[in-house]
Amino acid sequence: MSSSPIALAAWTCLIVAVGAMSTDQSVGDAPTDADRAAVVRAAVARVAPSIVTIETIGGVQPVEPAPGTQPARRRGGTEFRIADGPTSGLIYSADGMIVSSSFNFARDPSVITVVLADGRRFVGRLLARDSIRRLALLRIDAADLPAAEWADPAGVQVGQYAMACGRGFGGAVPSVSVGIVSALRRRSGHAIQTDAKLSPANYGGPLIDIDGRVLGICVPLAGGGGELAGVEWYDSGIGFAIPRAGVEAAVPRLARGENIEPGRVGVLLEMKAPESEEEGEAAPRVQIVGVADPSPARDAGLRPGDAILALDGAAVGDVPELQRRLSDVEAGTVITLTIERAGQSMDVKVKLAAARNIGSFPQPPPVGPPTTQPERPPPS
Amino acid sequence: MNAAMVGLLLLVPLTTVASDPDTVPPVMPNSVAVAVERALPAVVKLYGATIGTAYGYGTGVLVSADGLVLTIDSVLLDASNLRAVLHDGRRFRAEVVRRDPVRELALLRIAGQRLPHLTLSPSQSLLPGDGVLIAGNAFKVAEGEETVSVFHGVLAARTRLELRRRAQPLDYAGEVLVIDAIASNPGMAGGPLLDTRGRLVGVIGPIVEAGATNTRLNFALPAEEIEPFLLGTASTRPAEPPEVASGGRGGKPYLGIRLFRLGYQKVAAYVDRVAPGSPAATAGVRRDDLVVAIDDRRVGSIDEYERMVSRLRPGQTIRLTVKRGDDVVEMKLVVGEQPQ
Repeated sequence: MSSSPIALAAWTCLIVAVGAMSTDQSVGDAPTDADRAAVVRAAVARVAPSIVTIETIGGVQPVEPAPGTQPARRRGGTEFRIADGPTSGLIYSADGMIVSSSFNFARDPSVITVVLADGRRFVGRLLARDSIRRLALLRIDAADLPAAEWADPAGVQVGQYAMACGRGFGGAVPSVSVGIVSALRRRSGHAIQTDAKLSPANYGGPLIDIDGRVLGICVPLAGGGGELAGVEWYDSGIGFAIPRAGVEAAVPRLARGENIEPGRVGVLLEMKAPESEEEGEAAPRVQIVGVADPSPARDAGLRPGDAILALDGAAVGDVPELQRRLSDVEAGTVITLTIERAGQSMDVKVKLAAARNIGSFPQPPPVGPPTTQPERPPPS
Repeated sequence: MNAAMVGLLLLVPLTTVASDPDTVPPVMPNSVAVAVERALPAVVKLYGATIGTAYGYGTGVLVSADGLVLTIDSVLLDASNLRAVLHDGRRFRAEVVRRDPVRELALLRIAGQRLPHLTLSPSQSLLPGDGVLIAGNAFKVAEGEETVSVFHGVLAARTRLELRRRAQPLDYAGEVLVIDAIASNPGMAGGPLLDTRGRLVGVIGPIVEAGATNTRLNFALPAEEIEPFLLGTASTRPAEPPEVASGGRGGKPYLGIRLFRLGYQKVAAYVDRVAPGSPAATAGVRRDDLVVAIDDRRVGSIDEYERMVSRLRPGQTIRLTVKRGDDVVEMKLVVGEQPQ
């Protein structure tokens, strides 16, 4: 079913009244908060049967951030600690595939249960994680499940209403936060951005349109790519959801048990000003100050002192930006880094490796002024 | 109202939201996308002075077809390589045309022609509760050629507030438009405040705290404060409440009140002495009165008293409220001119 004509008419009135900038109380069919709430409730009710509650038992707090990344910090400075749940997931297929966010499994829980909207409880098996899109795929042994209905991706536009739903607060119906689509194709094209309030209360749950159809799966996705990166932006009005194309690309691989991991270059980076004959003004840029062994960087001949000017042809601003962009690129992908060495700029192809295949940094990173030994051999 | 409704309905696309072909295509917008489409091409990302180890960044809005960009004044602009990235990804060098240190506004120029731009629209008809949109590069989420982020909220209040930056009061005393969308994240300052038709009714202010709450304020400067700056007619004097700014002659204001000075800065404004024949004496102010308000604005300390009195104009009539024992006494007082 679709939204009722009455609810739709209410929305029309609401939007017109707001658009006209002065709400005339004398108009008989003026919209009310109740009209708006009815539309929101109808949308949530439509998707609610497809939203599941995920409960986990066991596991530990993740403490080690991925190499080259910052641990997620909570506003106020204390480290973010994962709570005891519950968390949210969405029924992807009638035969028991549940899509959720990898954030919800960062503790590597030993037991996972999935509770359907009708109250039935199943044991869930975590098939695999996509650490780039922050998705996870579970399977439960059930059939004839109410799979969620997706919105047509071609119709999604900036400014349309978007609501984030989740089971993280418990209760009989999913929680809802109302916002709009803030931007499309964020995070190297992986994500929809919304100003609905996203947090552990709805990570793994759906972002829906006003008809209750799914726009994306809510995930934390800011920061430099650590396991919890992005959580520090919870409830900030900057939230991300993985749209249908990303979910459909990931699910078949995750279903085969294939984890999707970001690739690493294996370098330490700092912002350093280039040596310049001119007075001041030389803007600092991203420079390699250490190369891991083994690492793709070493294989590609990158050296301390090399400045990284561009990634795949797009200029690099600063270290956090480069790290964030790299966190969107899968291990095994060949990237092109445009570097400058001894005044010469050149393109270097680097085949990214998974974090577990990156060695240690043999020498402490040089300190002090920018290195002047671009010809120094790589550490051995 | 009816005319407005018809006009707006003509503007909005009749979005087909039904996925089921049997349902009647509803005639309604499901979004504020029309306003976004209208306004977003005029919003630019700004990159300037390096702050720490990261590039400084902010937002601006094109206000003329030939490249004038309105934004917020900040250290970001103190860069020789100030750059603007347009909605379509085009990059331009930007130069500062002028700055207003009180309103903290700045006007930049980029060398473009026939650029998408917005013109200021009065904010006065915007009422608390009305929907608004803000756009900006919060946390520089928009990378490379990506477009800035858009946020939806309502106007929370139109008011005058004491604004502070790291406990230092700012000079700006004009109206602010407080909104409930998060406008106080890094990168948002200088972005547009739009009504739900996409009209430019204000500019997102810098990151400051409200003295009244000691919390970061999500606010915009209203179009009415920006217009004189754009026209080049704004003075750099603090924007003052109209009742203070109107009436009066030149010269320094004089009430004839000396306050108790106890060596502390933050003490209440107790009257120590009233000069005979002064405006205060004529009005009936007495020793030991505690000044609690001038024109209904709270006087919290000697500092505040002096700041408020310094903004008065000789000849202006004010309402002085004092606490005398357990009574509150109100007096009308004509501000005099400081004797030479």
